[in-house]
Amino acid sequence: MSTVRHHVVIGSGVAGNQAAETLRQQDPASRVTMITTSRLPFFNRYDLPRVFRGERDWRNFIIYPADYYRKNRIALRRATKVVAVDSANRTLSLEHKETIAYDTMLVASGAGAYLPEELSEFRPLMHGFGGFKDAIRVADALPEGGHAILLGGDTIGLDLARTLLDTGHRVTLVAGPHTFWPHEVAPEARPGFIAALERMGIAVIEAANRGGIAGIAQGAQGLSPRSLTFRDGSELHGDVVMPFFGITPSLDFMLGSGADIERGLLVNPELRTTNEAIWAAGDVCQIWTASARRYTFYHGWKNVRAMGELAARNIVGAGEAWVPIQDESLILTPDGRVHSPFWEYQ
Amino acid sequence: MGETSIPSARAADEPTREVFISDDPRDLGWVRKNVPCQSACPAGTNVPAYIRSIVEEQFGASYEINREANVLPGVLGRICSRPCESKCRHGWPGNGEPVAICHLKRVAADMKDAGHRITERLYAPTGKRIAIVGAGPAGVSAAHDLSLFGHDVVMLEREQRPGGMLRYGIPEFRLPRNILDTELHNALRLGVQLKTGVEVGNGSGQIPVTRLMAEYDAVLLATGCMAASPLPLSGEWKERDPRDVPGIEYGLDFLVEMHRGINKVVGRKVAVIGAGFTALDCARVAARLGAQDVTIHIRTAEEYIPVPSEELFELKREGIRIKGLRSPVGLVVDEQGKLAGVEFAQNRLGGFRESGRRIAIPIEGSEFVEPCDTAIIAIGQQTVHDFNDLPVQLDRWKNARLGENGMTSQNGVFAAGDFVRGASTVVQAVGHGREIARRMDAWLMGRERRRQVVRISPVAEPLRERAFDFIPRQHMPTLPLEQRTREAGKEVETGMDDAAARQEAKRCYLCNLRYQIDVDRCIYCRACIEVAPRNCIKLVSGVEIGSDGAYGKLLETKEWNRVGAIWIDNNECIRCGACYVVCPVKCISISRCELSEEEM
Repeated sequence: MSTVRHHVVIGSGVAGNQAAETLRQQDPASRVTMITTSRLPFFNRYDLPRVFRGERDWRNFIIYPADYYRKNRIALRRATKVVAVDSANRTLSLEHKETIAYDTMLVASGAGAYLPEELSEFRPLMHGFGGFKDAIRVADALPEGGHAILLGGDTIGLDLARTLLDTGHRVTLVAGPHTFWPHEVAPEARPGFIAALERMGIAVIEAANRGGIAGIAQGAQGLSPRSLTFRDGSELHGDVVMPFFGITPSLDFMLGSGADIERGLLVNPELRTTNEAIWAAGDVCQIWTASARRYTFYHGWKNVRAMGELAARNIVGAGEAWVPIQDESLILTPDGRVHSPFWEYQ
Repeated sequence: MGETSIPSARAADEPTREVFISDDPRDLGWVRKNVPCQSACPAGTNVPAYIRSIVEEQFGASYEINREANVLPGVLGRICSRPCESKCRHGWPGNGEPVAICHLKRVAADMKDAGHRITERLYAPTGKRIAIVGAGPAGVSAAHDLSLFGHDVVMLEREQRPGGMLRYGIPEFRLPRNILDTELHNALRLGVQLKTGVEVGNGSGQIPVTRLMAEYDAVLLATGCMAASPLPLSGEWKERDPRDVPGIEYGLDFLVEMHRGINKVVGRKVAVIGAGFTALDCARVAARLGAQDVTIHIRTAEEYIPVPSEELFELKREGIRIKGLRSPVGLVVDEQGKLAGVEFAQNRLGGFRESGRRIAIPIEGSEFVEPCDTAIIAIGQQTVHDFNDLPVQLDRWKNARLGENGMTSQNGVFAAGDFVRGASTVVQAVGHGREIARRMDAWLMGRERRRQVVRISPVAEPLRERAFDFIPRQHMPTLPLEQRTREAGKEVETGMDDAAARQEAKRCYLCNLRYQIDVDRCIYCRACIEVAPRNCIKLVSGVEIGSDGAYGKLLETKEWNRVGAIWIDNNECIRCGACYVVCPVKCISISRCELSEEEM
């Protein structure tokens, strides 16, 4: 029987790549396989707004050179979807019916955009912003000086708004409870932040003041391509409607795996799930936080990368506990602008 | 594990050229194992048969097949908990999504002709008199079957209308009352005497059970679980009744009172505590009553809520949120003594209960408060026994304990439904009512009058095409969101049209079709193996025989000198018919195997 351990990493984002790199360093003799649904190798999704500045070649977004994975002996399986995990037999099933055995598994599958269920029927009329192709689609749909309607907000959406304003587009934010997600803004502080967004050039409409969003429709001929209707009957017209309501962990394939899930995979401070051979890192996991005595999500590029590294170190036996490394407070800059530490990824 | 055998040419193995009735345990076992939806249905509904009738546009026939097992197809086609769908072979890994079995049941009920003829198998009158206490799903199901058996049935119901929890516990937007009324009427019209507004009990104006026993040959208690389970709180709230705090009530009382016609009022911010259908219904009603923020608080996680995912999706569309991993431990009240919030402890997940439900373990020192002005508690329901002056033996959950013959510890007193099983689902109550009716009949008549058999009939050619396997699950259309609050009683699920229904029905694998290879005629050309879309045709050295005589595991081999037969593994087979079409010597046959009942 082989003594070479097979580490499987699911996901090729910040957490997954950091974990794979760490596993390679810490366990040089092991096999490391990284599985991702993405066709592109690791790219920085925080960089996607660059598309609106004219950068449309996907090669400019790739983090590692083409031979990185080969040199590091990381078997990268792109465009591959895990559909089920059998933790009793330590195997996972891929959509194309292949079964892969693992000794340890790290789930770093990240999260997708959350779309509130009441808006789900309008999904075909909205533009997502989760990947490179999505960004290109938005850029294609948004003419010069065009009008983007951002629903919800969240720090990903607000980051995009900054770029769109810089590139001469109009931005209207339909604000709601998710506007500053994942930052927690006290009710009394919210008007100050909203005013700051307006100073930045974003037109802000509080959805609640108009009774909430009633629907989205294709614009009539000769008008803007999208029309947003509020429950009070008022309308808003734009070129694209983009939902930004925070994120939801991508872990359908983990249902029934034996690892506990609440909203994310529940992990202990060492980032191990309730299954002894499965760890998790990044936006997909809820970490037991002893001080708060609850499971908590941690976001932001720096946190996610640190989680990937820590999980990998613990897989090979470090036994270290998670300590968040990123400040999560939203701030107003001296010149009156909104700033999130999650935007500091350059 | 039972014995192992080389498949032989016994009658039960042979493909059939004519219809015959089998009581061979191998055939009964084959149906149990190979038709997972029917096995999972507490009422034993012949699912593949009624779905096939929909493909053939025989909606009336489809309805009647349903009605043989369950007298309320239109009702259960709307509110069933769908244990069949979680077992559907189409939902097994690699096969896609389960067939929308429940929605198709509704299709049969909705699309049958207006003048549809109901078929009933009546027995001659027996002269036996039976009193049934409670006109809920178990009582109604039993009353129907007992009246068919020829007994005189009197049904006593304390509410003004029959239906029990169907009428008083389930909101109209999930179960329109005209559907319920029609099916209840059809169930009870064969001579069941329904007396509503009649209370069985020991008080003045009430009828004691002992009197019923004196006047009738048998009594069936089907009173369900009509008391809300109390909310276990800790600290200063341990000894207090939470209902003393304005703004708190139990979900069961909330729904029952509303359906009795009492106006219910909720605050702006509503916390619903519980994870079952009652909790979800309370939350959706609260949203319709004008609550601005409705959250369901559950002890475990959404993954373990025993409710179909489509129901959860619709609930979320209505703006209701679900928060997991929390147990209520106390209440917060304001200066006026009104509810201001619920105190929870953070949970972690533990193991599993015998029932399959997940255990949640509160974490010490993790308490936190969720502000709210209304709390609706729906953590379960319990049986009530104070009405009964002829006490029956109970189990540790305070449910009635039954003997083998379905009788309680009191001679002549039977019990059915939630009164025996604790709070369960409507389809479980219907199935149990039916089962107890059969046992009551056997006790009253001194013998079983029906037995279960397998009806095996030849099928000329495959009934499915491979293309059917790629039809996606059809969507159930629903009412637009704004209309749900404007017309709060209007049914949310509006029903599939006939084109979608037929498409959905085609998805059914028809697991009751049994594909067999005649090993004496097979030339072992392997053509069938080559075209098989799954690993469903196997070379075997033998087949295990279970202790009940049913076929068990196939003993596969790749060594030709050990091959005893080439065998279609009906567990893997998706009934595509590709093997049948390609076989050069036509040694593959198809027979339909259906559970049926035969007079004894």
